[in-house]
Amino acid sequence: MLLQPTTGWILLAIFSVLWVGLGFYWGRRNKSFEDHALAGRNIGLALGSATAVATWITSNTTMLAPQFALELGIWGMLAYSMAAFGLLLFAPMAGRIRTLMPNGYTSGDFFRLRYGRFAWGIFLAFTLFYSLTWLVSMAMAGGILLNALAGIPYVWGMSVILGVCVLYTMRGGLVAVIGTDFIQSLIILIGIVIVGFAVLQNVSVEEIHTNLAESKPMLLTVLFPAALMAIFNNLLFGLGEVFHNNVWWSRAFAFREGVAGKAFTIAGLVWLPIPIAAGFIALASGALGVGIPSSDMVGPLVIANVLGQVGAIAVFIIVFCSLASSIDSLLAATSDLITEDVYRRLLHPLARPETLKRVAQWITLLLGLGTWAVCVPRIGTLASVLFFAGPLVGSMIWPIVTGLYWRRANSTGAIGGMLLGGGIGLIAYFQIGWYVASTIGTAVSMVWVLACAWLSKTQFDWARLREGI
Amino acid sequence: MFSSGFLTVLVYGALVWCAISSVALLAMLVRDLLQGRTW
Repeated sequence: MLLQPTTGWILLAIFSVLWVGLGFYWGRRNKSFEDHALAGRNIGLALGSATAVATWITSNTTMLAPQFALELGIWGMLAYSMAAFGLLLFAPMAGRIRTLMPNGYTSGDFFRLRYGRFAWGIFLAFTLFYSLTWLVSMAMAGGILLNALAGIPYVWGMSVILGVCVLYTMRGGLVAVIGTDFIQSLIILIGIVIVGFAVLQNVSVEEIHTNLAESKPMLLTVLFPAALMAIFNNLLFGLGEVFHNNVWWSRAFAFREGVAGKAFTIAGLVWLPIPIAAGFIALASGALGVGIPSSDMVGPLVIANVLGQVGAIAVFIIVFCSLASSIDSLLAATSDLITEDVYRRLLHPLARPETLKRVAQWITLLLGLGTWAVCVPRIGTLASVLFFAGPLVGSMIWPIVTGLYWRRANSTGAIGGMLLGGGIGLIAYFQIGWYVASTIGTAVSMVWVLACAWLSKTQFDWARLREGI
Repeated sequence: MFSSGFLTVLVYGALVWCAISSVALLAMLVRDLLQGRTW
């Protein structure tokens, strides 16, 4: 425990009041489902860039990046940075999505209109499994981290962070999510810079290098097979996650015309150095003589050791912002997906915009309650479930990319690509390991999708993506 | 083996990059606010 529980509770209260207050204030302008889910489709470049950065900075980025560095060395930090390519490569796609589907709401709309209802069903099953797992893992991480950092009881910490995010997302919709994301991204970036330079005041990079060369030379090795494989796995996992998830598609729809491509490019460039800036701190642990009883707490332990209470408070704020910026986005995007793809498309096609907005708010609340119920028992193995979703996520990359750019891409390719890629990727997960599952799932899906498109004579009419929404 | 110089460039480069990014995001927000194009 790095902070006194009282200090932790005070910080938690200050930021909770801030986020909920801003969410309620910004949410006043929302009248319809389009306002609530897509912020009126008018987000500018600054907020657009910052929201993509903040959402992609999860508690994993600030906590797992140091662990990656501690276990996989320099390549570990670089491997984690590869996730930025998800944002960078999505940039041109986001512009195309906005052009092809000016009235679209979700990534589910794309699958339904491009590949038909069966492929849409598989996509919904895969993406909801992944999104709900990610949501539960983030809420659980919130409880565990607040407990480890400040001694706040797990259930209370998890309940407060989840409750706060549900409240402001429910009331303010995407506007509240994007507004708070901007503040959170700045707090995280500035916090990481201050903490990083403060650590370097106590130990030089040369001292870190000398210590590593003597005690853990493997962490400086250029040819480190496990780390090199992790690079590809992280890259593909990042691509699959960003390409398919409604968290990112809803932003592509919400950004003002001409903004989406630029915003995702800027976001990728801003995100790229964060795992290195946050991760190198772990490499300093040996030179600083900090004992590491548990590798997943290496970052906070080193910072608290060097900077004392001020450092511990900085870590607490950075972690809280990282968690909130991801949980709110997941709540908003998943509730929009269920509202649009399940409630509206399957159950109530004639629902009015005001009704859809209310339904989205209720679904946000239900998602929060469901997540809370799953998190209370504190299952400790959820990170492996998230890795388990890797091949499912990877198998959706090629149906999406070809579906956006190639007229000959077809339903047989998309359905087979997702089922074969996901299935064989899962076999690889159990037979070989998590570090190759996404790569194999993606490769199998790619071969099938490309072969089907190559052999097909169909020519998809892009105008159909504008219709029926 | 990665050299000390490489690690120095990597670490300082990442920290300076983050600092510049935060200033750039703020500057972009101010510009959007002045042009009335925030959201």
